Amino acid sequence: MFYRRAGIRHTRYQEERQLFPLTFDRVLILFVLAILLSAPFWIDRLYLVGYMVPWLIWSGAALGLNLLMGGAGQIHLGYGAVIGIGAYTSVHLVRFGVPLEIAMISGGLMSAAIGSIFGAAALRVKGIYLAMATLAMQYIVDFFTQTKIISGGTLATLQVPPVSFLGISLKSDLATYYFVFGVTFLIALYMLNIRRTSFGRALAAVREKDYAAQILGVSTYRYKLLAFWVSSFIGGVIGSVLAVAYLRAISPDQFHLELSVQLLAMVIVGGLGSVLGPFLGAALILFAPIVLNNTLGWAASAVGTEIPIDLRAHLPLLAYGLLIVVFLLYEPLGLAKIYDNFRKYLLVWPFRHAQK
Amino acid sequence: MKMDRRSFLAGTAATLTVPGMTGKVYAQEKIVRFSFPQDFTKIYTFVTSEYSQGQRDYITLVNERGGIGGYKIVADVSDHANDLPRAIEAYERGKREGMVLIDPLSTPVARALVPRALEDKINLITAFSGRSDAADGTVFPYVLPLSINYWTQAALIIENFSKMEKGDLKGKKIVFVHIDTPFGKEPLPILEVLAKRLGFTLIPFPYTPPGNDQSAIWPQVRRAQPDFVIFWGAGVGQTVALTEAFRNGLKMDRVSSSVWLSESDMDVVGRANAKGVMKVEPCVGGREPKVIKDILSDVVGKGKGAGPEGKVGTAYYNYGVQMASLMVEGVRMAVQKAPNGPVTGPWLNEGLTSIKDFTAEGMLPPTTVTKADHQGGGMGRIAQWDGNKFVPITNWYTAFQDVVWDEIRKYAEEFKKTGK
Repeated sequence: MFYRRAGIRHTRYQEERQLFPLTFDRVLILFVLAILLSAPFWIDRLYLVGYMVPWLIWSGAALGLNLLMGGAGQIHLGYGAVIGIGAYTSVHLVRFGVPLEIAMISGGLMSAAIGSIFGAAALRVKGIYLAMATLAMQYIVDFFTQTKIISGGTLATLQVPPVSFLGISLKSDLATYYFVFGVTFLIALYMLNIRRTSFGRALAAVREKDYAAQILGVSTYRYKLLAFWVSSFIGGVIGSVLAVAYLRAISPDQFHLELSVQLLAMVIVGGLGSVLGPFLGAALILFAPIVLNNTLGWAASAVGTEIPIDLRAHLPLLAYGLLIVVFLLYEPLGLAKIYDNFRKYLLVWPFRHAQK
Repeated sequence: MKMDRRSFLAGTAATLTVPGMTGKVYAQEKIVRFSFPQDFTKIYTFVTSEYSQGQRDYITLVNERGGIGGYKIVADVSDHANDLPRAIEAYERGKREGMVLIDPLSTPVARALVPRALEDKINLITAFSGRSDAADGTVFPYVLPLSINYWTQAALIIENFSKMEKGDLKGKKIVFVHIDTPFGKEPLPILEVLAKRLGFTLIPFPYTPPGNDQSAIWPQVRRAQPDFVIFWGAGVGQTVALTEAFRNGLKMDRVSSSVWLSESDMDVVGRANAKGVMKVEPCVGGREPKVIKDILSDVVGKGKGAGPEGKVGTAYYNYGVQMASLMVEGVRMAVQKAPNGPVTGPWLNEGLTSIKDFTAEGMLPPTTVTKADHQGGGMGRIAQWDGNKFVPITNWYTAFQDVVWDEIRKYAEEFKKTGK
């Protein structure tokens, strides 16, 4: 009914292999892109700066982590540190007068280099042990970012000077939004495409069973390291975006374990291995607390009851925890899977069963 | 469980789209909007609820008496949980609703908001948090600590030790036990300068955050046989430090801390055990000040209190009252200067920077804020725990402001040079 699959016959390989074989999906994607691209012109400034920008940045970061966790099956508890390395590297470079474009890439490369060193642990250990190794990375990097040379002394805040990207100053909200949108769009595009490359397939093989992959001739040594390299590179680039486009003043405590856990939650709640998932996960994890908080405050003042502030501050947390538990109980594969189920249902609507 | 998918999704969507319709109730009145997004649920929990209760009670008191020159004060309280996206959202929301002042009560949040506040000309209050160098109003025109910063607090403590030794600290040993974070390390430069000037030996002992296990370092403190001990942390670290100090048999009347010590901490340590320990007081504690009595009779007594009555008059509650009274005094001065507004950040800033010898009817040390000095003069006093309450053992005084201001100017200069 909606998707109109009947009668579609692919006669060329390109058609078979395109990202969105169904016209409906393509139209939907274009529609969403149009909404996002036109957002600055009809969305209130508060929602643009307070919601859209962090959502896009955190989604980009979650996409990077998802490549590692969902794509290659390697857990990472130190992704916040990876982002921090990128942020500090690029901010220092920008302060030395290096153009942002180069600083971003350098931030990515620095993150990738350090991230891969710790990722090398993945060559030896798996699962919970790898989690410990990456957790160690988080703390070691935290220790070093707190030193005077890196974060700048006891006050430990590094201001980001005004920057421009490709000649456009990132001072206005509009420019910042499009800059962030562009970066996240590129990352999402990369993630969509990676699954049809030999690299993506090798990662999938490693994820499913690494020694089986090795027997089949996929070098686990190479691909595990590559997965850490690519994912950390993305983390580093996102770190510099986060610093210049959103935080504008960075201090070490912004890249602690909380950030890593937040991103981990986004990936898991969103859906491991999906590209849509990180976007949904980031939206839920970032905004559910704010929205619940505001809703509760609004409801309280509308009904006219005075809720003590302590309770008011903690109720959203209760609701937030409940929300995550319910989502994961209802669909353990994440929010992206809920969308997928919905889509599968519509694919054959008004009939009952989708063919697998 | 069988739940209809569509109703589940529709319900979720509905929950997520309701928000953002707060405010606007007061649109037709003359109001001054303060925004208090603070951390009620993560790290600053030990202070926020009492601090916020004090702030709101004072503002209720002012509004009940008809406001300031026809203006009502509106305080938007929300929870940012020490999380930057949430804090920045609260900031942007406040900005849209026309706030002229924001008090995040969190160092990381304040630091992230500094560049925004300077650009948007919104008064950022960083009482007992944020950057110490923000006291330099020439570099940070819209960042106002309005209270003694950590450098001044360290100087006050040393001055008190010096008095206890009849003005001579030469050859004395002072141990500085601190949490190993930027906040914990903050007083070090001041203490180092003072050690050189006054001739005492400074031995710093850092403990790892959050500080719920300090058993390794306190025996070392004892072995160092210090003449005085300063412990510097917040929340759980403070009570653990005190307990360890007691267990290691240190003389409690030679132990001192910053403003972050309250009656509730003493309950944890044991009221009798902690007898003698000293702290810095930025304002009068307890229920004696007239303002607190007024709040008790006119606000709490009429059932309009923002929280449990038992908390009224505790240390952090009074800090909240102190900060709110300074903010409101800023409004009063602003109204005097320009009675018809318009109510903007710069309008309030004019008021806040012309506060002169304000004591909130005897509750604060005389506080004078100028365009250059946002610290408010740097007066405080030392109070000692007598097993039941904190008793002041000095008058209001200030100390070593030359050293403190050298440091403030050094860091502010650095910010000016590299920050922009």
